[in-house]
Amino acid sequence: MTTKVEHAIEVEHLTKRYGNLVAVSDISFNVMQGEVFAFLGPNGAGKTTTVEIADTISKPTSGKVRILGMDVTKGKRDIVPRIGVLPQGFSSFDRITVRETMQYYSRLFRRRNADIDGLLDLVNLNDKAKEQYMKLSGGLKQRLGIAIALVNDPEIVFLDEPTTGLDPRARREVWEVLLGLKKKGTTVFLTTHYIEEAELLADTVAIISKGKIIAMDSPVQLIERNADYLVLTMQSVDERAFEVLVKMGFDLDRNNRKNINVRVERAEDIRKILNSMKDAGASLPGIDVRRPSLEQVFLKLTGEALEDTYEGKGAE
Amino acid sequence: MNLRVVGASLIVSLKIFYREKTTMFFTTTFPILLILVFGTIFVDQDKVNFDLCLQDLDRTETSAEIAKALALTGKFRIIEVDPAVDAVRYAGENKVNLVLVIPKDYEKSYVRYLQFDDPTAFATIEYVYDPSSSSVDKKIEILELVFARLNQGLSGKPQFARTEEISIHTRKYRFIDFFIPGIIAMAVMTASLFGTVNVNTELRQKGIIRKLSTTPITHTDWILSNILYQFVLAAISTTAMLLVSYAVFDVTLLINAWLPLFIVLDVFTFVGIGMILTRVAKEAQSAAAAANAVIFPMMFLSGSFVPLEMMPRYLQTFARALPLYYVNEGLRAAMVFHDNMTALIYSAIIGTFAVMVFILGITAARWEGSK
Repeated sequence: MTTKVEHAIEVEHLTKRYGNLVAVSDISFNVMQGEVFAFLGPNGAGKTTTVEIADTISKPTSGKVRILGMDVTKGKRDIVPRIGVLPQGFSSFDRITVRETMQYYSRLFRRRNADIDGLLDLVNLNDKAKEQYMKLSGGLKQRLGIAIALVNDPEIVFLDEPTTGLDPRARREVWEVLLGLKKKGTTVFLTTHYIEEAELLADTVAIISKGKIIAMDSPVQLIERNADYLVLTMQSVDERAFEVLVKMGFDLDRNNRKNINVRVERAEDIRKILNSMKDAGASLPGIDVRRPSLEQVFLKLTGEALEDTYEGKGAE
Repeated sequence: MNLRVVGASLIVSLKIFYREKTTMFFTTTFPILLILVFGTIFVDQDKVNFDLCLQDLDRTETSAEIAKALALTGKFRIIEVDPAVDAVRYAGENKVNLVLVIPKDYEKSYVRYLQFDDPTAFATIEYVYDPSSSSVDKKIEILELVFARLNQGLSGKPQFARTEEISIHTRKYRFIDFFIPGIIAMAVMTASLFGTVNVNTELRQKGIIRKLSTTPITHTDWILSNILYQFVLAAISTTAMLLVSYAVFDVTLLINAWLPLFIVLDVFTFVGIGMILTRVAKEAQSAAAAANAVIFPMMFLSGSFVPLEMMPRYLQTFARALPLYYVNEGLRAAMVFHDNMTALIYSAIIGTFAVMVFILGITAARWEGSK
């Protein structure tokens, strides 16, 4: 019998140590039913350690983690049938086909009537049903991993770095699947080091760094609360405009040869800049004023950039 | 424990086995090839036939009798060497490990010894040989017997000390009969140990075990499916080996309940050892090295290929500490000698060992969820 609880996941003062290394240090948070919760942080921040405790793969050193009201250290047997997990670096049996893999996992969950065709449709893998796992591309493998995580119709889905290592196109395909889950109201616990992924998919983002949660809110609120400045972007500026800005003492970020991002603390500074440009006769074809992105908030809060952003070249 | 889950895992393992042709080859065909190769070499050691180079420097009717006597033993195919060549040079140039040289004046000495009772008369037959050759000792041993008989015949007196062979077995056994149970034990050991170590290390390295630990399959279900999988492989390879042995070498092995019992104990023992090694080895490469470190001493020292009597005493003592020795000897007792008491004793020894090592293996092997 399943009981309905308000919080799908409750984490209280969770700490995990490996010898002298503290991977996760005294973190607490809750995930609501139907919420998409993203853990955002660089490699080694403690994301996987936390998710592996929550999805029963490993055990905490101290603190409490409850899944659907059940303690993970005592209720593994009852928790496992109600959750779906895509572990980091998911892999499956090389010579078993997509359909056979789905059938195998559905048998493990004693779900003989699992809608395998429906799940393969959801992740757009129906035409690959007879392909062996070893012959699938990285993106198709991840999509199969997500389909497997859904084979038992879980109440919570844990996705540990679901798009790491995928090319932008494959990443977008996985995002489509995850947006479908969000639409269905499935509770999703996602870890990622892609800011765009967290911003696009998550209702709540927790920024984790060196084993500690340093900020947690909706992406919009995170930006609102942590962005006490504006970013003025001037497009296709000439050298004269650049000199004016340097003379005025602004913090500049020249992201390519022509565009300049200027961090301004007050709205009236924008007027001052534009007047100075006009007086100096600098060319100014286009301007844009906006709040900083989640990436800039992340940088401000953690003091470190994420290694692999959407625009980044490599996968880890 | 859920038998449906165990069954589903077993089916997946069998599909992988069927689709991985290399694994299939090494599990079924390789032991058969071993049987065919060794069986052909040792099929009937009584019919062993050596080439023997003979240089007759005397070239008389009496010296020719030696060649006839040697041919009559059935052990030699005589190759005549030209008396004009140097025997040592001939052996070196033609890579011959033994040339028997009958001296000039052999017949004269023979006549003096036999007809004139001259006690000083003798003939020296030379063995020009390569001491580094492994088969030359056997050839000289047979030649010594032939010449001992010749000398004894020339003395004109009947043999005093005579010998008679009385076998402790009611039937005459061939080497191949002893060889097949050893190969069965070895093939099952290799498949069980390598199967457990390789598959589990690979699955762990790929993260599949970690994924499985987030499903309702338990550690016990997984181990049980592994054991059943190894039983199926053992049954397939044993059946194939026996069929080839009966069809090609006409072996006379008794097949009864002892055979499956020893196979089961063999599987349990080496799956258990495999689980311990899986715990120790972190990667597939180190796992394969660890498995080899166990398999090779077992293969060569436990009597699968070489009888224990041929080994130095300290190695014989060591061999008796190896589990495969008890499977080998137990299977031979049951299949070759029909000796139920010995089979019972050896099954009890290997059974106790299997239980111990299997419990240790289950304790050592760690399901990801408990880390």
